[in-house]
Amino acid sequence: MPRHHIARPALTQRQAAAILLLPFLTVYAVFLVYPFFKGIWISLHDWNLMAVAFNPDAKTFVGLQNYERVMWGRNITWGAWSSPGLQMLGLIGLGAGFLLYRTGRAGKVTALAILIASLLLFVLPGFHPGEGGRWYDRRFWPTVGNTIVFVGLAVPGVTITAMLLAAALDGETRAKAVLRTLFFLSQVLSVTVVTLIWQIMFSPRQGLIANLTELFGGSPIVWLTAEGFAMAAIVIATIWWSLGIAMILFLAGIQDISKDLYEAGALDNATGAKAFWYITLPNLKRTITVVVVLQIILHFQVFGQAHLMTSGGPNDSTQVLVRYIYQTAFRDSELGRASAMAVFLFVIMGGFSILQFVLGREKDQ
Amino acid sequence: MNRSYYWLILALSVPAFIWLVPTIWMVSLSFQPNDVLARTTSSTALGLIPIPFTPENYIALFRFGQVPMWFLNSLIVSVGMTVAVLAVSTTAGYALARLDFPLKGPVIVLCLMGLMVPEQAVFIPLYTMFADWGWHNSHHALILPRVAVPIGVFLMMQFFKAIPKDIEEAARIDGVGWLQIFWYVMLPLARPAMMTLAILTFLYAWNDYLWPLVSAQQREFFTITLGLASIQSNFAQAEGLGRVMASGVVASLPVVVLFLIFQRYVVRAMTAGGTKG
Repeated sequence: MPRHHIARPALTQRQAAAILLLPFLTVYAVFLVYPFFKGIWISLHDWNLMAVAFNPDAKTFVGLQNYERVMWGRNITWGAWSSPGLQMLGLIGLGAGFLLYRTGRAGKVTALAILIASLLLFVLPGFHPGEGGRWYDRRFWPTVGNTIVFVGLAVPGVTITAMLLAAALDGETRAKAVLRTLFFLSQVLSVTVVTLIWQIMFSPRQGLIANLTELFGGSPIVWLTAEGFAMAAIVIATIWWSLGIAMILFLAGIQDISKDLYEAGALDNATGAKAFWYITLPNLKRTITVVVVLQIILHFQVFGQAHLMTSGGPNDSTQVLVRYIYQTAFRDSELGRASAMAVFLFVIMGGFSILQFVLGREKDQ
Repeated sequence: MNRSYYWLILALSVPAFIWLVPTIWMVSLSFQPNDVLARTTSSTALGLIPIPFTPENYIALFRFGQVPMWFLNSLIVSVGMTVAVLAVSTTAGYALARLDFPLKGPVIVLCLMGLMVPEQAVFIPLYTMFADWGWHNSHHALILPRVAVPIGVFLMMQFFKAIPKDIEEAARIDGVGWLQIFWYVMLPLARPAMMTLAILTFLYAWNDYLWPLVSAQQREFFTITLGLASIQSNFAQAEGLGRVMASGVVASLPVVVLFLIFQRYVVRAMTAGGTKG
């Protein structure tokens, strides 16, 4: 009996793999790998958005000049005591890192991360303009500083609140499940909804917070336009917004702790707060590190809160790095300088991503 | 259950309520008349209860203005992005997890490195590329950059790796081709992972702000997230506080409903997305 059709030769494994990988790899190459290198390319040029849009040849290669114009200045010197507060903190961090590692309270990676961060904290703020010198870009380092302050407030705020809530809300009961849902809910809102809500919450005339203070006879604070309060305001909104993920990660970490430990603890009268301090906390060390690194990556990229709630003000006190990049690129049309800052951001984020990856691998082993 | 348990629940209900207050307030303000809100935002119980009550803000929202159009744009972009991400992630994830081919190791490492690149590091070159091609102010311009982010590939790869080998081998012995195995055997098994990835992507697309802000300059192509940003700066004068709040409620409705229905998946998706990318 003749065959009615010739059997198609089956695809080899290689051919199948090529067909299945092609769609992703194409999109990946065009919309991520290529732009990444193009970003570095732009950062090496004097590249005006408008000028180049009209005439593609209107850019000039300037080498590393954009990096110099953003990060350096005339007559910059370094002193071990030019920014005592931060540098002292760096020194303390260095000491603490060594101590934690020696006493075995922190793993190799954690200790190394603390040491590198502390070293940077000691070295970087030491640079300052010497006699008759000045920064070429007066706003860049203060902006980086504001971003670090924001991260430094939001990350501990989120981490501590989330950990306490997770410890209290761990359990199978219905009431706890409902409470977990309530605390998690704000996490799914978009940044523009969050800023809409909090802008009006903080409003001195219409805000709920102002209404409350007036109810108790106080005079309302002009949160979003008062220096000092503006940063606090966007940190509060951020903690409200991004508590959920951290809480969920802590809940997962707590569930990994053996129940036997708590039963043994209960025999020694360790329940409630005592159990949290002596059993939960020491066993959550890894989760805490993961949550902190994750939050640093997330919050270093803060943009919407500062852009919409305070417009970086008052007096640049809430100007953050991504907003400065955005403005330099799309308001000042200085794509070259903006790209140099974006590369700077990538280097910092890349460092933390590697740390996150190494931590993730440690867990899998 | 003992007494201390009820005390704990009671003690935690207070912060939980405070946590919910901003959201309640938004919903409550959206149901109050604008002329009342212009005078005071604390009519009843600090404004947390919508008395005097009116649905006029929502009616006005759907009669006039661009909120319905922005909502539609958000739907198109979010659904389009979700479908595209699922398509490229399941195929690539399966190939990387289950098939042997030359240079597999380097390809995986190359994809892994993409996880290190934050959106903010590529949005400027992406802007110039899309401008050169005349792609801005379109739905695909809002969709494509996220499809290139390898997070979904890794989620799917990890899932496919965990499936026992013998399922595949039985099919191979019967002479089934690789693509058929992928389509008829693997994809049905992958439904929970695809669900997780779909929700992660949809939430991201719906809430994304920076890229739409850069790419969509014409109001007709705003997403609801971007549109909400554009009306909140001048809420008091232009449309009235109540109507802006109603826009906020409408903008949040899909993600909140999604969350309440698929809570388990949402939590899994956000932790997976958070810890891996």
